[in-house]
Amino acid sequence: MQTKLDVQDLNAWFYQKQALKNVNVKIPEKMVTAVIGPSGCGKSTFIRCINRMHELVPGAKVSGKVLLDGADIYGTMDPMDVRRKVGMVFQKPNPFPNMSVADNVVAGLKLLGTYKKQELSELSDANLKSVGLWEEVKDDLKKSGASLSGGQQQRLCIARALAMNPEVILMDEPSSALDPASTAKIEELVKKLKNETTVIIITHNVQQAARISDMTAFFYLGELIEFDQTANIFESPKNQLTERYITGRFG
Amino acid sequence: MKARKSHFFKLQDSLFKYFLIACSLIVVGLFVAIFLMLFETSLPSIYQNGWSFLTGLVWDPNNNIFGALPAIAGTLISAAVATLVAIPLSIGIAIFFTEYAPARSKLVLSLFIDLLAAIPSVIYGIWGLWIIAPLIKTNVEQPIIGAIGFIPLFSGPAYGLSIFLAIVILTIMVIPIITAITIELLSKTPVPLKEGMISLGATKSETIRHLGLPFARLGIVAAVILGLGRALGETMAVTMVIGNSYYWPFSGYSIFAPATTITSKIAGAVGEAGGLEFSALLEMALILMVISLAVNFISRSLIKRTSKRGFG
Ligand SMILES: Nc1ncnc2c1ncn2[C@@H]1O[C@H](COP(=O)(O)OP(=O)(O)OP(=O)(O)O)[C@@H](O)[C@H]1O
Ligand SMILES: [Mg+2]
Repeated sequence: MQTKLDVQDLNAWFYQKQALKNVNVKIPEKMVTAVIGPSGCGKSTFIRCINRMHELVPGAKVSGKVLLDGADIYGTMDPMDVRRKVGMVFQKPNPFPNMSVADNVVAGLKLLGTYKKQELSELSDANLKSVGLWEEVKDDLKKSGASLSGGQQQRLCIARALAMNPEVILMDEPSSALDPASTAKIEELVKKLKNETTVIIITHNVQQAARISDMTAFFYLGELIEFDQTANIFESPKNQLTERYITGRFG
Repeated sequence: MKARKSHFFKLQDSLFKYFLIACSLIVVGLFVAIFLMLFETSLPSIYQNGWSFLTGLVWDPNNNIFGALPAIAGTLISAAVATLVAIPLSIGIAIFFTEYAPARSKLVLSLFIDLLAAIPSVIYGIWGLWIIAPLIKTNVEQPIIGAIGFIPLFSGPAYGLSIFLAIVILTIMVIPIITAITIELLSKTPVPLKEGMISLGATKSETIRHLGLPFARLGIVAAVILGLGRALGETMAVTMVIGNSYYWPFSGYSIFAPATTITSKIAGAVGEAGGLEFSALLEMALILMVISLAVNFISRSLIKRTSKRGFG
C-alpha cells in the first residue's frame, strides 16, 4: 500500500478548545478511507485540516504535519494549491446558485484561467457523465445549479470537485441530507472513484462505512482510537470503544 | 373567560388594523399635499415661463426671466458624478473591511463609517469651505490647470469653491452610505457557498468576485440609488462649497468653475424672492421632486427586473 497522506502529530484547536489530539495516521493511496465516530469527536476538523480549511474558522489553530506524497501541506505549499489537490464535498450540497449547472462543474477550473471555452464545456460534460448526472441534466445545463434536486445537487458538487482532478477527495457526510435512492447513487460513485483518486469519507452510518470503505478510522473525543482495514474494524476491533461504537452501543 | 379574551383580541386586532390604515393614509396624504402645494405655487411660473423654464440659461428676477437649466444640469452632473466616483471606492472599502481588515479593527472602522454617515451636512459644508477648498485650490486645481489647463474641462482660473469641490464633498458624503450597506451585504454571503468556493482553490478576492459581489449586487444597486438620492437632495453642504454662480456649464466647461444646483439656488434665493421668482423657485423644487421620483422608480424597476432571475 502506497501512503498518500501521512498525518503526523496533528493537533487542532478552536480557541482554547482542543478538537484533535495527536493524530497520527497513514492514509493509503487509491482507497476509500471511512472516518467514523460519535458527534463532536473531531471528524470534520480532521478532514478540514487536510485541505487547510480548518484555519478559515475564527480562533482555529493547527500544529503537526500533513504530508501529501511526502510534502508537508503546512510547509511551503500555497494553501490554494493544497485545496486544488485535495478536493472537498460538504455535508449539505452547496452548488453556486449564481452559476448554471455547467458553470458549477468547472467553477474551479475557470479560476485557473488556462482553459478555453470549448475545453471547459467538454470538461463540464465529461464530469457530469462521470457522476452519472449527464442524462438527468443534459437539457438543463443553463439552469441555475440550485434548481436541481438535493441528490442531484450533491452529485453536481462531486463533479465540481472531480473536475479539478484532485489527488485526494474529502467528503463530509455527503449523503446524510439525502434520500435512500440518492444515497445509493453516491455510494456507487464513491466505490468507483477509488480507481482514480484517494477518498476520505466521513459517515455517521457504520453500515455505510462497512459497505464502501477499505480502511476505517475511528475517532473519539478528538483522538484517533483505531485505524485498520474496514474488515478488521468490523469483525475484530482491537479497542473496546470501537466495538461499542460499531455495535451501536453509544452515540 | 376564554371567549371574552379572544373577543377582546379580535377588537384589538381590528383597531390595530385601522390604526395602520390611518398611518398609511397620512403618508399618502402628506405626499399628495406637498406635491399639490408645489404644483399650485409653481403655476404662475409654469404659465409665464412655459417650456423655456427647462431650457433657459438666464435667471434674472429684475426682468422676470427664469430659466432653470444651469441649476438642473448642476444638480444632475454633481450628483451623478459624485455617486459614480463613490461606487468603486465604497465597494473597495467594503471589501477591505469584510475580508482583509483585522477583526479587532473592525469595530472601530464600522463605528467611523456610521459616524461619517451621521455627520450633519452643514459640518461637511464648513469643512469643505474652510479646509478643503483652500487645500484643493493650491494642491489640486492649480497644478492641474498649470499642466493641462488648455483642455476646457480643466481650464482656469482656480477658485477653490467650484463644482469640483461640490462633487468631492458629495462623494465623501455618499461613500459612508454605500459602504455601510455593502459591508452588511457582503457579510451575509452564505458561509457554505464561500467554503465551496475556497475549497476549489479560490483566493479571497476570487471568492468576492464570483460569489460575494454577485450575491450583493441587487442590494448594492439599491444602496447606490439611496446615495444618489442623498446627493440629489443635498442642500447645505453644496450651497456652501459650490460657489453659486448661475451659468455653469454654459459659461464654460471647466470643472474648477463655480456652479449651482437646484437646491443651492433655492436655498440662496428663496429668502428674498417674491412674486414670480418665488413661484419659479418652487417650480425648480417640483422638478427636483420629479427627478427624485424618477430615480426611485427606475431603481425599483431595475431591482424587480434583476430579481426576476431568481438571484441577485
Ligand atoms: N466553529 C467552531 N467553533 C468552536 N468549536 C467548534 C467549532 N466547530 C467545531 N467545534 C468543536 O470542535 C469539536 C469537533 O468538532 P467537529 O465538527 O470536528 O466534530 P464532528 O466529529 O465532525 O461532529 P459531527 O459528527 O457532529 O459533524 C466539537 O467539540 C465541536 O464542539
Ligand atoms: Mg462533522
